Amino acid sequence: MRAIRLLLAKDVLLLRRSPALAGALIVYPLVVALLVGLVVRYAGERPRVALVAPEGLPSVLVVGKQTFDLQQLFDSAKEVKLVRMPAAQADSQLASGQVLAILTVPKGFTSDLRGLERSPKLILRTTRGGLSTRVVEKLRSFVYSTNLDLQKAYIEANLSAVNLLLHGGDGQIGKTRFSLLGVRRARAELAVLARSPDPAVAARAKKLGTFMGQLSGAVGQVGTFLRATANPIQLVHVSQGGRSWILSAQVQAYALALALAFVAVLLGAGAIVAEREENVLGRLVGGLVGFGRLVAEKIAFVTLVAAGLGLVLALVFGLIVELGHVSGGQPWPRVPLLLAGLLLAAAAFGAFGVLVGALAREAGTATLIAFLVALPLTLVALVPHGTAPVVAWIGALFPFGHAVHAFTVALYDRHPARLFARECVWLGALALAYGLAARAAARRLL
Amino acid sequence: MVLEPTDLEVAPGEVVALGGPNGAGKSTLLSILAGALRPSGGSVEASSEVGWMPQRPALYGRLTPRENLELFARLAGLADVAAAVDRALSEVGLDVEERRAAELSVGNQQRLNLAIGLLGEPSVLLLDEPTASLDARRRGALWALVARARDAGDAVLFATHNLDEARRVADRLLVLEEGRLVYQGPPGAYREEQTTPNAHEHKDTGL
Repeated sequence: MRAIRLLLAKDVLLLRRSPALAGALIVYPLVVALLVGLVVRYAGERPRVALVAPEGLPSVLVVGKQTFDLQQLFDSAKEVKLVRMPAAQADSQLASGQVLAILTVPKGFTSDLRGLERSPKLILRTTRGGLSTRVVEKLRSFVYSTNLDLQKAYIEANLSAVNLLLHGGDGQIGKTRFSLLGVRRARAELAVLARSPDPAVAARAKKLGTFMGQLSGAVGQVGTFLRATANPIQLVHVSQGGRSWILSAQVQAYALALALAFVAVLLGAGAIVAEREENVLGRLVGGLVGFGRLVAEKIAFVTLVAAGLGLVLALVFGLIVELGHVSGGQPWPRVPLLLAGLLLAAAAFGAFGVLVGALAREAGTATLIAFLVALPLTLVALVPHGTAPVVAWIGALFPFGHAVHAFTVALYDRHPARLFARECVWLGALALAYGLAARAAARRLL
Repeated sequence: MVLEPTDLEVAPGEVVALGGPNGAGKSTLLSILAGALRPSGGSVEASSEVGWMPQRPALYGRLTPRENLELFARLAGLADVAAAVDRALSEVGLDVEERRAAELSVGNQQRLNLAIGLLGEPSVLLLDEPTASLDARRRGALWALVARARDAGDAVLFATHNLDEARRVADRLLVLEEGRLVYQGPPGAYREEQTTPNAHEHKDTGL
């Protein structure tokens, strides 16, 4: 342990005396944090969408007995931020990325909405960028919630027509005015006729009266049927409280794992090869340290630096979440748990890096190979398990997927103990396996 | 590097020169004796502490000479680190402690390399081409140091291309060729033509 402690202190001192490397290690987490901060902030923001309405939007729209302010309805959309602008400006802003989509309210939209004869249409235009899916989903959600409001009004309007049919009176559909007798009054009239002295008339009136009774009962149920068929399945959202599984949470976990993967693998590879470049390896293993302790020291050094960097990142993310009022962020109580995950993940990545360095032998080659290997193995972990089992197995043998899972569970799972422990066992086992392999490979450095 | 089976013994108070062309296995043999390389067969026995000066300086360029010496002294578990460092610096006459090792001249780096090998006052010194980067004055100082070691009863084995140095300093000469020991005896009795067709590489460089 004494030799490991001495070499560890030496490596920390050398790191402090390498301004470029130390600077990169300080700047790296800040850049990652900034980028993630932007994503987190964006995750909590409404996408900006251009609203093009050549005819304008009516402030008053009467459906049945309900009045809608369409302008207010669009302006207060919770899902997207609708910005009114002319068509040409919208085109220009979509092309430059200032808006993510254009929602056009075509001519005839308001009259279709008032007329109740055909569904009015809104036209959504997006680019083919990666964010277009999100905008489409958001606008579907907006149209869905708007439809729900209008649906209620339409059902009430339809029900007043049904009531007119049932009870009779004056009515209007579109521009057509009419006067109805009504089923119940018709039934009453038939009841009078059923008492006719002419048995044939009385029998026919009685038959019709029975039918009118059935019709009256059926029409009386129309309201219930209309409401049921308008929403065959209703989604009732019950919030459980606690930590929510939002985009920002996953982004933070991936950013932490990504930062650790690259820093630890590159630093691990560089640290072991540096001993060879300085030509001190012979002195060290010639009775002073031994390969086992040398590899252990390098893993400890990388763990210290990378976990420290990860902790800084996590704290910066926490501040961003806190200051940005992003929902789903309660980072502080989970920092100790996260730190345990960071240490194990850094050790596993570091051991892998030391193995790469020992196999590569030269600084330039080690750095290049570490980068070339870390990138695909990071991406492999992102492939969903069901897609390709072989790829998933390969991914399981690299710490990235386990690190992402451990961080996500540590930060946002309500009951993290079991899953977190499982991922920690994986990371510890990988650190040990890679460490032993690195110890065997380190002899190549002489 | 493949070394043929070789029995080699260096007695206390003896200075042995190790000659041979490039690639003969001199550095490999010294690395094995220093414990830096593990031989595939055979064993190395040292009755006491071994000090090693590799051919290329083995030190941390971003540490100062004193920091280098302190680190290796602590790793070796020396009791009085400060005294050991002062003694080693004094032995090689190095007084550029504030600069980082990488900023030193090649000659001074080689002296620091030697100083690290002298830590712990080893009774066996292994020097791999110790004069390669030294000027005439420093070479003289180095051989004086070797003479003092011999007088103190230490064993010294040094690799060299310079037969003249070997003749002047060594008590015995070993010559390796392609990993094989081809000569062992008094330096003065060795004639380079007797062992190898590419003996021009052994010629005295005249330094």
